[in-house]
Amino acid sequence: MTPPRRGKTNLTPYFLLLPSTLFLILFFAWPMFQTMVLAFRGEGVILNLREAPENGAAVTGQIRQSAQVILLGNRGIPVAAPAAVSGEEEAPSETGEEAASAAEPWYLIRGLDMANQAFEGWVPASYIREDEPETEGGPFTSGSVRRRDRDVRSEPGPISPVVAQVAQDTAVEIAGQRTVEIWYEVQGQTDSGETVTGWAPSRYLEVLSTGGEQVTGFVNRGDSGEWTLRYIERMFADREFIPALITTLLLIVLILPIQFLLAFIMALLLQSRLRGNTLFLYVFSIPLATSDLAVGIIWFSVFTQSGFLNSLLQGLGLITSPIVYLSVESKHFMILAVVLAEVWRATSIVMVIIVSGLQAVPESYLEAAELFGASLWQRVRYVILPLLKPSLQVALILRTILAFQVFGVVLAIAGRGMTVLANEAYRWYVEFRNPNMAAAYSGFILLLSMITAIFYLRSIRTQEEARE
Amino acid sequence: MAEIRIENVFKYFGKVTAVNNVSLTVHDQEFVVLLGPSGCGKTTLLRAVAGLGLPDSGRISIGNREVTYLPPRERSISMVFQNYAIFPHMTVYDNVAFGLKMRKADKAEIDRNVRRAAEMLHIEEMLERFPSQMSGGQRQRVAVARAIAIKTDVLLMDEPLSNLDALLRLEMRAELKRLLADLHTTTIYVTHDQIEALSMGDRIAVMRNGEILQCDAPTTVYDQPANKFIGGFIGNPPMNFLLGQVQRHNGSLHVQVGDYALKPAPIYDSELKRYDGQQVVVGIRAENMEAMSQPAEDALQVRVMVVEPLGSQTLLTIKIHEDIIKLATHPDFPAVPDQDIWVRFPAEKIRLMDPQSGKTLLSS
Repeated sequence: MTPPRRGKTNLTPYFLLLPSTLFLILFFAWPMFQTMVLAFRGEGVILNLREAPENGAAVTGQIRQSAQVILLGNRGIPVAAPAAVSGEEEAPSETGEEAASAAEPWYLIRGLDMANQAFEGWVPASYIREDEPETEGGPFTSGSVRRRDRDVRSEPGPISPVVAQVAQDTAVEIAGQRTVEIWYEVQGQTDSGETVTGWAPSRYLEVLSTGGEQVTGFVNRGDSGEWTLRYIERMFADREFIPALITTLLLIVLILPIQFLLAFIMALLLQSRLRGNTLFLYVFSIPLATSDLAVGIIWFSVFTQSGFLNSLLQGLGLITSPIVYLSVESKHFMILAVVLAEVWRATSIVMVIIVSGLQAVPESYLEAAELFGASLWQRVRYVILPLLKPSLQVALILRTILAFQVFGVVLAIAGRGMTVLANEAYRWYVEFRNPNMAAAYSGFILLLSMITAIFYLRSIRTQEEARE
Repeated sequence: MAEIRIENVFKYFGKVTAVNNVSLTVHDQEFVVLLGPSGCGKTTLLRAVAGLGLPDSGRISIGNREVTYLPPRERSISMVFQNYAIFPHMTVYDNVAFGLKMRKADKAEIDRNVRRAAEMLHIEEMLERFPSQMSGGQRQRVAVARAIAIKTDVLLMDEPLSNLDALLRLEMRAELKRLLADLHTTTIYVTHDQIEALSMGDRIAVMRNGEILQCDAPTTVYDQPANKFIGGFIGNPPMNFLLGQVQRHNGSLHVQVGDYALKPAPIYDSELKRYDGQQVVVGIRAENMEAMSQPAEDALQVRVMVVEPLGSQTLLTIKIHEDIIKLATHPDFPAVPDQDIWVRFPAEKIRLMDPQSGKTLLSS
């Protein structure tokens, strides 16, 4: 073996750096950054109105999402025909992929309308059931009207003037085909109340009424975003925000002391090397392997009206009729049930951390303390707890952060009767389909977690730090 | 101040008998060393006295008070642990004060005793430090200071110097001896280092397989080992053993080793009669043989195999009959390998042992 050459750089740490950095970016920083962006950026809330019905045209004004607008007219802008539809060549446009997917084919049809008058006009291709073309692969030349009576329009576009109405199953001649993206000419008001007019693609707009003189609609979504504190403000102003925050904090205050006391006692029991304490370890570890939703359901079934608890109390003759524990009127019972479930579920993880910490405390320290006259309480107070500080710190950080995220158990036991922060994030995302608000709540939980972690790290200084 | 009386103590770990019927009395203010190879039960015995591992049977009393099953803090003992066991999260001051604090001594008393103990061990400058900022020798001092800060009847020391390097050990050995002489505490000191045992103890109790083989003053243990094991365990180099046969020449009994007839001291005569015609083990220490470069009367001619100059003496490895033994000579003694020298065995230095049991004949 040759000795390592002097002065040669050790590259190993740099190789280790690569996967660590990749991990950090891919699994941590990037998703978190995206979430935070969601909380502060409304995507698609602004619709740009343009001078002409094309994407490159100058912007005449901006209208906010869900604003009421008047649709003054429409125009079908030809785009490249989707490959599936065979037909006449269309001029390729540069409206991009989104436009292409929003494009629809229209047919120019000729035939007899309901008043038996000859007409010529445009309908969406979907109105027509095409007959087989005469030559294979050739263009469609005839078809019939599908299902309902249909309006035929002077040019492609849903609000173009109606030139005729055709009855169902009327045979028509297909005189031409055009694949277009519909643009509306829109009149609406900007944030500052100014009335602006301009063109916007139909996919951003929802048409409300086509009757009457005016065609009205609203901005379904915009084509550009903005940085905003709106979601944060809305979260703080949310009716459920304060109750959710209070419940979350209340649960932490109730659960953590019980958990740590219990976990510490359990860990000491395991360390005492009593006969059969491996059995204790297995029993204590069962909740570790149980999902939190399952735990919630277990405790829910304990506390329901016909649950274990009521049956037990009735069986013992302590109560005559079942007590309703989990209702909005008995919030304290709901909190109690959640506390019990959480204590049951998550105490073992604290215990495992404390046990590993205890195992790192050499037996001789405890023996020395005992020999120099320390009682059990004094050993705990002066030797075990100080030496356990690093483990306790880890457990505290872990448990508090997880307590801010408490979700499954609360959802299973209390449903909508009680809400916590994570519940609100879920509700906004799933029920109200508002990822921005969900991100705002998530970001708030993240902020609380980070503050807690920093607080713990600074307040419980480990011995290594105290040395400096 | 108190006497420690250990009576018929047994301790088992599963099927292993760690301490086997041990009885030992440590007199008031006496310094007894428990010496033995690792696994001989010496630490187990010490822990039984400390109350950290209760014996399975037997009786331990300290100063006329039975303490066999009392917790450590009711025994009036203090202890120095092998790995020091000083608390890493406390300053030196708090470590030394620990025993006093647990006894709820008042602040002035704690301070007085901590400073006294720190002064005795020369660590008064380091009272505000944490153990991690100290060297092994300094931590050792803290551990001893903690043990002597509380005034107890008994001081127990479990291999206190074994974690120190050789030079530091030499220094601490003398210092500990002086300190303990000043303290007048009854002390049990556990070690596997025979030099430590010889140099420090008032008496040495040699242990093997959970039993005490001999408990005597260091010089006695060294000079008159109770059996072959002790002779071989204590001393550097260990005692030499030669296999010989008891034979009668001209009416008197000799031990015949090869061609050489040894004449032991007359006090062995009665014992030798019992071994007439049988084999015995002759034990003699390296420094107790006389080496000569010229032939002499009663001297045995031997060939030098190895010469090891050690500075203060020179060790010669020689072969007598079947046995290879070591012989210590003055460093000036002229010897080279493959040279013939003459060796004389002084009668009063010869020890005889039973070849089966290893027991010394005539052992006190």
